[in-house]
Amino acid sequence: MALIPIRDILANARQESVQLQHHYLGVEHLFIAMLQIRGGITASLLEEQGLHAEYVMDAVRRRAEKGTAQRLWVGIPYTPRTLIILDIANDLAADAELPESTEREILSAILAERDSLPIRVLKRLNVDIEKLIKSAQTYTPIRDSQPLDIRVEFGDLFDPHESIDGEQLFVLRRIFNEYTRIRVDRRLTGFRNALILVVTPIQADGREDSAVVVKIDQSDNILDEYQRYESFVKMALPLQTARLEDRPVAPESSRLAGLKYTLVASGGAPPLDLRTRVQMLGTGGLGGMLHRELYEQFRRAWWQQKRPYRFQAWQEYDWLMPPVLTIDVCEPEELPANPFSLRVPVNRARLNTKMKFLQCGDPIVIENFVVQRIDRDNGVLKLAAGYGAEADKRAYRIDVRGCNFEKQTYYRGQTLDRVVGKVWKTRLEMMADAMVELEPDFDFSARTIPCGDLQLPNPILLYEDMLERYVNGSMSKIHGDMHLGNIIAGPNQSLWLIDFGQTRDGHTLFDWASLEISMLGDGVMPLAGVRWDIARQILACVAAISNRQPMPLENISLLSAMSTVSTIRDIARECLTTPDDWSEYFIAVALCALRAITWKSMPLGGRRLMFLLSGLAIHEVLNQENPSGEKPSADPSVPMTDRFVFSVPGLTPPKTELLSDEENFTLRDKRRDKKL
Amino acid sequence: MKLMLDLMIMSGVDDGLQLHYRTDNSDGQWETEANRWLISIGRREDSDLCLRNDSFVSRLHAYLRWEQERWWLQDLKSTNGTFVEAGDEDARVTGTIPIEPGEMFRVGHTWMRIQNESTLT
Repeated sequence: MALIPIRDILANARQESVQLQHHYLGVEHLFIAMLQIRGGITASLLEEQGLHAEYVMDAVRRRAEKGTAQRLWVGIPYTPRTLIILDIANDLAADAELPESTEREILSAILAERDSLPIRVLKRLNVDIEKLIKSAQTYTPIRDSQPLDIRVEFGDLFDPHESIDGEQLFVLRRIFNEYTRIRVDRRLTGFRNALILVVTPIQADGREDSAVVVKIDQSDNILDEYQRYESFVKMALPLQTARLEDRPVAPESSRLAGLKYTLVASGGAPPLDLRTRVQMLGTGGLGGMLHRELYEQFRRAWWQQKRPYRFQAWQEYDWLMPPVLTIDVCEPEELPANPFSLRVPVNRARLNTKMKFLQCGDPIVIENFVVQRIDRDNGVLKLAAGYGAEADKRAYRIDVRGCNFEKQTYYRGQTLDRVVGKVWKTRLEMMADAMVELEPDFDFSARTIPCGDLQLPNPILLYEDMLERYVNGSMSKIHGDMHLGNIIAGPNQSLWLIDFGQTRDGHTLFDWASLEISMLGDGVMPLAGVRWDIARQILACVAAISNRQPMPLENISLLSAMSTVSTIRDIARECLTTPDDWSEYFIAVALCALRAITWKSMPLGGRRLMFLLSGLAIHEVLNQENPSGEKPSADPSVPMTDRFVFSVPGLTPPKTELLSDEENFTLRDKRRDKKL
Repeated sequence: MKLMLDLMIMSGVDDGLQLHYRTDNSDGQWETEANRWLISIGRREDSDLCLRNDSFVSRLHAYLRWEQERWWLQDLKSTNGTFVEAGDEDARVTGTIPIEPGEMFRVGHTWMRIQNESTLT
């Protein structure tokens, strides 16, 4: 492949500069123009260091920031640094007896100059600049689509119905390009998008190396996780655990990338995620393992850091909820004179008032929101209040549909001055949709939800109140997505965490609330059943754990599973900021459980339990404040939203049909029956 | 006391531009009694460092000052702020902070750093 000459690079750099409203030609524009060359030297060399061209482009754009519409000069002048770099490139071309400089000379010049904005970005991304300098001089671009001759076999435990598509296989082969044969032992389930596999690499002489866990996902997610790991996780891991020892594999020709978790001190039986372990082997001994192998191993560097942290619940938990709004982008001319506008920083009181009245089709203006993710396949821009790992920056999610990515450049981290659209769905409607799918046997728009002898507050009406609350909590390093699928059981009952994509400093109890929810939804309910009355029965057991009473259960395997939940509560107790003040935990559970009703990856029974659990947790929060035992709904200090009204065309009203008396037994009745 | 200072612009349309200041050229504002040297940064034409191409810079935005044998960066309650690098985020400067040669700082949207500095005797 011929090297791209300077004039083509300059033309693309100019275009990039105009798109970013910079109107000067800087080194950043030159660098982005070179990254845009498919199969070019710059993109290929960065791929060797585990980085995807698009990912680096966005990081450079984020650092350079988009300019303003205001133009302070004419034309597109070269910056002084660009002139120096083009000079160096010219000299290099002359030395090589070339008629003009090409991508190679410009890249070498940028690397030699060492001080430009793109070089500063590369250093932050842990790129080895010296290695780049060396390879830039000798690298010959080759087409990377040549297939690698690696045989992929599937082990007995790999479910043949779980297919791996061609692109995923391509990335998988690239991860193991030093082998001739690999065996996919099993797929770990319960992940929304990512493909997670246990793979055993096999040497040419037939010897098997230790199994590793491989994750294949959108390259942005994989590369973010690797950056997070390098800068934040690596230093705080116990000796024996899963590590990212190699850079990610991010082929330029694919939107996917892959990571390999090396299980240090592995050997023996292939590793198993806890979700699969619970399904195959039950929950025996699991509580002890969680306490000993997970909590004890990680707590010093993680959950026991406990720096005092007072926050409003939304700061840590709003981002978990469905988007505040989903809007369809529209032309500004279609707007009436005074549309509702929502801008960062968000005025919560105003937003909450307004959200009650917003309907499908209402015009809206979104200002100063930041691009979190660009879903090119569906034309959706995902926005939030800020950019970064912290939860509050990801709050106030807004999905913008119908974006034209051909016409305009967007990059992650970009602040959008103004987006004009029409409301398609509010958060409340998203949750109501999820509830309809659960086919409730009660009116889920009512103030209270009947559950045995309890009248639980309705979480859909009260979650806003939970988000408003101040929490006297603590902040620690947390995993950020701790569910059964992300915990790997190795040999000798050891437990390892994988998937560090959400690892950050955050509310200490978030991890344990998440794990309780996963244990109940993915572990207990599949053992128990799917019916609402069974969910109520399990909920009564959760309530018994909270009240330190014996669980009204006789089934041994369910009792064992519930005792694991009890262990998680014991760990949570050790993480409480104020001893015996459980409200910070229950706020976390209420919001995490409510979020889970929208998860398609959780079984139906689990999601049903989640709705009730959210109600129970809110009940506990209100009870802590008002221990006199009054019904929470009677407490005048609790702002109760009125019954919500469905006004969106096409949305079916909730089912209100109740079960027959016979089916609608309460737990107390059942116990009484048994005594008789 | 004679001092010299080289500043380098590190971003924007003037990226790579180097600026030289010397007390014996009457650059900046030398205060003999306080043994202090002030270099003003702003959008105003008479600033020692005039950033006319950055609309996020206030008319008088910040001072670089040499005092007690070292350099300090002082934000003058500018509208859009003065920042230094701090991890993934930029940290806003309030009041006066010490600044080292080579350390990056941002005035409005323009990054810069002290390239060279010395005492000439």
